[in-house]
Amino acid sequence: MRGLADIYAQQFRITLASFLQYRASIFIWMIGGILEPVIYLAVWSVVSRSRGGSVGGFRAEDFAAYFIAMMLVNHLTYTWIIYEFEYRIRQGSLSMALLRPLHPIHSDIVDNVTSKLISMPLLAGTALLLTLLFRPAFHLSLWALAAFVPALLLAFAVRFLIEWTLALAAFWTVRVSAINQGYFVVLLFLSGQMAPLSLFPEPLQMAAAILPFRWILSFPVELLLGRLTPVETLAGLAILLGWLAAALIGLMATWRAGVRIYSAVGA
Amino acid sequence: MRYLLLLAVYVRVNVLGELAYRAAFVMQLFESGVDLGTALGGLAVVFSYTDELGGWRPDEVLALVGIFFLVGGAIRLVIQPSMTRFIESVREGTLDFVLTKPEDAQLLVSIQRVDIWKLTDVALGVGVLAVALARLGTRLGPWEALAFGTALVAGGVIVYSFWLILATLSFWFVRVENILVIFQSMYEAGRWPVTLYPRWLRYALTFLVPVAFVTTVPAQALAGRLDAQTLLEAVALAAGLSVVARICWRLGLRRYSGASA
Amino acid sequence: MGSGRSELGMSPVIRIRDLCKTYVVTEREPGVGAALRSLLHRRTRETPAVERVSFALAPGEVVGFIGPNGAGKTTTLKMLSGLLHPTSGEVSVLGYVPWKREKAFLRQITLLMGQRNQLVWDIPAADSFELNRAIYRIPAADFRRTVDELTDLLELGPLLRKPVRNLSLGERMKCEVAAALLHRPQVVFLDEPTIGLDVTMQRRIRAFLAEYNRRCGATILLTSHYMADVEALCRRVIVIHRGQLLFDGDLSDLVRRFTAHKTIVVQLGESHLDLRGYGEVVSALDGAVTLRVPKAETARVTGRLLAELPVIDLTVEDPPIEEVIERVFAQEIP
Repeated sequence: MRGLADIYAQQFRITLASFLQYRASIFIWMIGGILEPVIYLAVWSVVSRSRGGSVGGFRAEDFAAYFIAMMLVNHLTYTWIIYEFEYRIRQGSLSMALLRPLHPIHSDIVDNVTSKLISMPLLAGTALLLTLLFRPAFHLSLWALAAFVPALLLAFAVRFLIEWTLALAAFWTVRVSAINQGYFVVLLFLSGQMAPLSLFPEPLQMAAAILPFRWILSFPVELLLGRLTPVETLAGLAILLGWLAAALIGLMATWRAGVRIYSAVGA
Repeated sequence: MRYLLLLAVYVRVNVLGELAYRAAFVMQLFESGVDLGTALGGLAVVFSYTDELGGWRPDEVLALVGIFFLVGGAIRLVIQPSMTRFIESVREGTLDFVLTKPEDAQLLVSIQRVDIWKLTDVALGVGVLAVALARLGTRLGPWEALAFGTALVAGGVIVYSFWLILATLSFWFVRVENILVIFQSMYEAGRWPVTLYPRWLRYALTFLVPVAFVTTVPAQALAGRLDAQTLLEAVALAAGLSVVARICWRLGLRRYSGASA
Repeated sequence: MGSGRSELGMSPVIRIRDLCKTYVVTEREPGVGAALRSLLHRRTRETPAVERVSFALAPGEVVGFIGPNGAGKTTTLKMLSGLLHPTSGEVSVLGYVPWKREKAFLRQITLLMGQRNQLVWDIPAADSFELNRAIYRIPAADFRRTVDELTDLLELGPLLRKPVRNLSLGERMKCEVAAALLHRPQVVFLDEPTIGLDVTMQRRIRAFLAEYNRRCGATILLTSHYMADVEALCRRVIVIHRGQLLFDGDLSDLVRRFTAHKTIVVQLGESHLDLRGYGEVVSALDGAVTLRVPKAETARVTGRLLAELPVIDLTVEDPPIEEVIERVFAQEIP
């Protein structure tokens, strides 16, 4: 176990050094992540104003709180592995990774966490700025804040595992960009990124509840906004745990199958 | 004209390369279709709660979406692939090949890559635009059409010049591809009328990354809401930016070839 | 070692005088601490790449420009083709100042770089040729004639119809060479053209370049660190090292001036004979001994060998050119 910690430490140093080398790219990258909630925020604020102040129980300040929280949660659970994996296979670096006595997922975990740590100050600053600009209405309670931490961690773990498994589609097909796009559209609609899920028609809300996406993004956001009862919170955490187990099993099975295909074809 | 001839030659060269990949067409159709579906879905959700959005009627926003796809497609057709290739060639040293050709290097660099499949986006954009125009009725007079055409062309020139200015940064910095991502991200804001956004964002989308002139202004022309002043501003900005782009290009080349300041 | 050769009765096609190029490079030490510091302050250093180089080429000359890696060959070539501004000095090619990059100038030159492709990857070379035809405004009839001639000389035949990515490295190079010459340039700059190619292909390209020069009278300046390229094509060589010109003259002059030794290769009837008394033994394999002797001693040692040993065969050679060049570099400025 100590060996693994050591490896994580080394990888952290390397990732940190290379990120600092390309300091501009981190900053630029954040712009996209910030713009999206602002756009939706603006649009829904206009809608709520035209309806005399609120839409589906959300006033302008509630929308502001919702989308700022959504930005935070989205950022803190974000992964980019589905873009990279196909490239790795094509380039041959996956073969190199397979030769090492370490599952390639570990370096991706470190990469991901490191970049989040580096962008944390910027993210916090942006959230602060947006709060000043849009005057959101947060209804925070202590227990909700306490529950938010495990909720976020679980959400991140589930999302990471799911997207890592999805990335493995590259073992079977070259047309990953279509899969990626399909995934992102589903994520966009069913996770609450585009609008609070309660604003969507019933069938979509039910679909969202069955799939993990609502629980990855919408659930922590609702928790942070104080819109959930303790019972609902516990239920949500339990569901996330269930998805975590499912995602882990799915990952391991897919990985094993994928590597078998990969080595059969010629790594 | 010489420029058109060269463009035709480059299109031919790029198309010949792409026709080998027929599956790419199906892929592109799928991707563009999904993208359009997302945009329309968003519109549907928003307009299920209201009849007008900040003074914009649903069909006017639909027209905006059409313009968004049309111009976005045009960007991804020529501007994006050529600029990306240009930045690579600065890094790899293959820009030298372009510089030893007896043609204006800025021209060659700007048309060198054509991603022919992105015509799908352009076609979809035109289609959506046509539907929107039909639904808006025949309130489009010659003045509106002219304003629209001018605004669209001005927007195109603005986008091209902006991309070129960003791309020339590769003469000074590494990893400039990330900068191009700025435009992609901010262009997403063009899906909705810029007038909806808070003032600071409106300013950013007008003066910082001129997305407003590319999508919202032409849409305003179609909605009959474009005033002459804004149109003139668009044209002026187009002219100004193209001059700045040319200057940046020349400065960048001087730096690349080690000319002293 | 001077310019101002007697052949330059006609005005030179290429002329440079006191050419200098200094680069500014950023440097940084390893480690996270230095990485953080470099966020605020970048350190730079000036590196001279070319220092006061002068030479001139007459029309139709084929000149080899040799030196070790980092000597300044490519930098000089870039300054001659207009890609790089000199820090100081004069450059003139075909009467033009290269860095002004006038179109009339660019139409008459070509730059071919080994390992770097200008052909479009996914399409047949023939289609890339069409692209160049449009850019260089080559009239249709001239174009066809040139393509036919180049196809003939380079044996391109079936290669032109295949996508470039399907060609082998050598075949691709041949197509690159053809693409670079479609507009019949008067001046041809070649930067390591045979690097990475197998021996057969190298020989073929060399033969082509020689023939091209013979037919078209184009002036060719070629850099290489394969001596074989230079030996095969160039009567005149310019040697550059650490940015400074070390030698400019006939290749044979170079050999003669910078070798103090000759090589004697002896084939003996008996093996395991010790020839150390005759000279420096470079190698001894199965009765074939290679000796290195001072030039002045050659005749005497040869005589002794023939008289005292069972010699089957004996040859006297100049040392390999690589060795000569190494000595030139080691001596710095003579």
